[in-house]
Amino acid sequence: MNQIGNPTESIDFLREVFRKYYFENKYFPYLYSIEKREFGYRKFDSLVVRHLSFKNAGELVAELIRNVPLDVYYSNAYYGLPSNPINEKQWEGADLIFDIDIKDLNIPCFQDHSYYICNLCGFVNSDQKVCINCNKGKTLDISIPCKKCFIAIKKEAAKLLDFLCSDLGIKETFIEIFFSGNAGFHFHVNDPNIRNLDSNSRSNVTDYIIGNGFMCESIGVRKSRNGFMIKLPKGGIMTGWRKKIASNLGINQKSELKLKHIVETSGGYEGFRNEINKITKKFGVHIDGPVTNDIHRIFRLPGSINGKSGLIKTKCDDLESFNPTNDACMLSDSEVCINLKTSLKINLKNNNFRLDNTLEKVPSYVAVYLICKGLATINKNN
Amino acid sequence: MSIKLGSSELAKYPFLQEASTYIQETKFDFEEFDRPEMIHIINRAVEKLESELKGKIYSNLDEYEIEIMTFLVSLLLIKSIGVEEISRKCSLFEAMRVEKFLSTDLSNERSLQKKKLLVQKIFQELFKIDIDVDSTTIICKLSIADYLHRASKMNEQEWKLINRSVKDGYVYLDTDEAVRLIRNELSNLIYTRIKNMKVSEVPILIKSKADELKRKYSGRYVYRNQFKILEYPPCIKHAMEIINKGENLPHSARFMLATYLLAIGKTEEDVIEIFKNSPDYNEKITRYQVEHLAGKKGSHIKYSVPSCDKLRSEDLCFAIKECENLINPIQFGRRKFK
Repeated sequence: MNQIGNPTESIDFLREVFRKYYFENKYFPYLYSIEKREFGYRKFDSLVVRHLSFKNAGELVAELIRNVPLDVYYSNAYYGLPSNPINEKQWEGADLIFDIDIKDLNIPCFQDHSYYICNLCGFVNSDQKVCINCNKGKTLDISIPCKKCFIAIKKEAAKLLDFLCSDLGIKETFIEIFFSGNAGFHFHVNDPNIRNLDSNSRSNVTDYIIGNGFMCESIGVRKSRNGFMIKLPKGGIMTGWRKKIASNLGINQKSELKLKHIVETSGGYEGFRNEINKITKKFGVHIDGPVTNDIHRIFRLPGSINGKSGLIKTKCDDLESFNPTNDACMLSDSEVCINLKTSLKINLKNNNFRLDNTLEKVPSYVAVYLICKGLATINKNN
Repeated sequence: MSIKLGSSELAKYPFLQEASTYIQETKFDFEEFDRPEMIHIINRAVEKLESELKGKIYSNLDEYEIEIMTFLVSLLLIKSIGVEEISRKCSLFEAMRVEKFLSTDLSNERSLQKKKLLVQKIFQELFKIDIDVDSTTIICKLSIADYLHRASKMNEQEWKLINRSVKDGYVYLDTDEAVRLIRNELSNLIYTRIKNMKVSEVPILIKSKADELKRKYSGRYVYRNQFKILEYPPCIKHAMEIINKGENLPHSARFMLATYLLAIGKTEEDVIEIFKNSPDYNEKITRYQVEHLAGKKGSHIKYSVPSCDKLRSEDLCFAIKECENLINPIQFGRRKFK
């Protein structure tokens, strides 16, 4: 949640809505081995509480209803003693998590629906870096993803799914895809065979999926005194990244001459390396590497409210038909009044909202969304 | 028909279960090493260790019984010398010797069944790696997890998963690559055997040879602080430029900068001073974090500088020509004191 310009009344309103949600949604069906996980949460004053543990979902929900946090997290790791300090937790393995986010895709329309909110006074600027209202604060870039953004991120998610299943051989039953509740997807892989991978091994997987570090030698192009030479690898070029590159170049195991010609026309070894980098960028997936590499991180809990939007981190069974702004919007419809900081258009629960006035009456889920984004405050006087 | 490995094959792999069984069955006692007829075994073991300490793989191969005994005496000698670096070096060279024999055996062996048996004996019996040999391509196939557990400890770029043949959850390696993959593990296995050896009394002859070797070679392994940093690597320079401009650094870059500065001998105060330029500088938090990284707070573990590989994956690498072949920024600009 963007805290700036959110007076106590807005926070009280959010807490009330969040508490009601956790009271009515007592179950977290995608939370396994709860007694082995570390839990944490972010309070409305931004303080983070970590190293909590619960024996069952009932204990967890009681804590959520009692303290009503802004965001709830749990560890990808399984621990013998989850509430101990980090080096005494007795790490027993961790799910492999992937995070993809719209902001990393460089979508052209992204700036069209971005708002620049002052970190001091909360004023919404058009695109300035320093606030024009107070002349002191720096602006924070807040975005409301559009349909095009969601189409692009779903396409990226499909690419990631293909890497996991086809290349890494992970069975779909071990992969759970969640909409993060804001602008991305989280993939939780709970395959017991890869649960024990350390951070370095995970970093290898990350680089594989992003497309980092592919060597020309892996496809048979080596540096030599005369510039370069071709020697195709014994293991062949028709699997993994080698295959992706080979298909893009239109070569196979017998195409030594064609490959030689391609390298020559690319400008030799260095030129060919640049070509390879372009191909890996095109086929790689924009995942957040450090997230996947971390074996002690806490992640947003599936089924909890995302404090950046008020949408729920929701299981996505079918990427194509999943509609984030509808399927993850589960808060109340009851109407409330808000003070808007800027005019805007949004679509939630399959309803279009065109909000032009300073004072607007909207369903609670819209109010929560805009307050969380820092674009509105609650108005209790109307 | 079941296929077994012959004694000439087993001679090359004296660390397998068969060797222990042989020693047990013959009821061999360590005191027997003091008998004059054993001197040639002891001399052979000394010759082997000297070759390894000089950086050469000992390639001579004798009969099964002699090889087993030589291996045993070698371990006793290394244990008696008691110098960590010597134990490590000899373990590595013993592993490289095995690697050489195994690679040759796998490429020369015509019987696929025998090849499979050899691979499975070494990979499964010793390291619990589920490995298969493809009958047509003679390419070894192992699960990605088994591969990563080993390959992620290797620094060469060619071992990164992206540069391997990968399909349906398996990594495909030619036999040389498969053998190379377990070199470090084999070295660790031999090293652990040396460490765990419980010898109440080392035979006199072996002890005197060990003392001789120790006098001759241990001086080479005295640690000398012979390097100094002449220049910052580009990744560190870049991070410092950003801080000097008064801009915020991402968490991973702060981690890199602080661990690097601490590793080259800067004090915590020096490091905190550098971070003062950060727009979100908070002395209390910075002090805690820097002291935590230095191993003085929290877990009391001193954090290492992230590897170049890791920095590349975090977009913190700004490599220049001088960075070639480096695996950690800490190596940049190191020159020997003259």
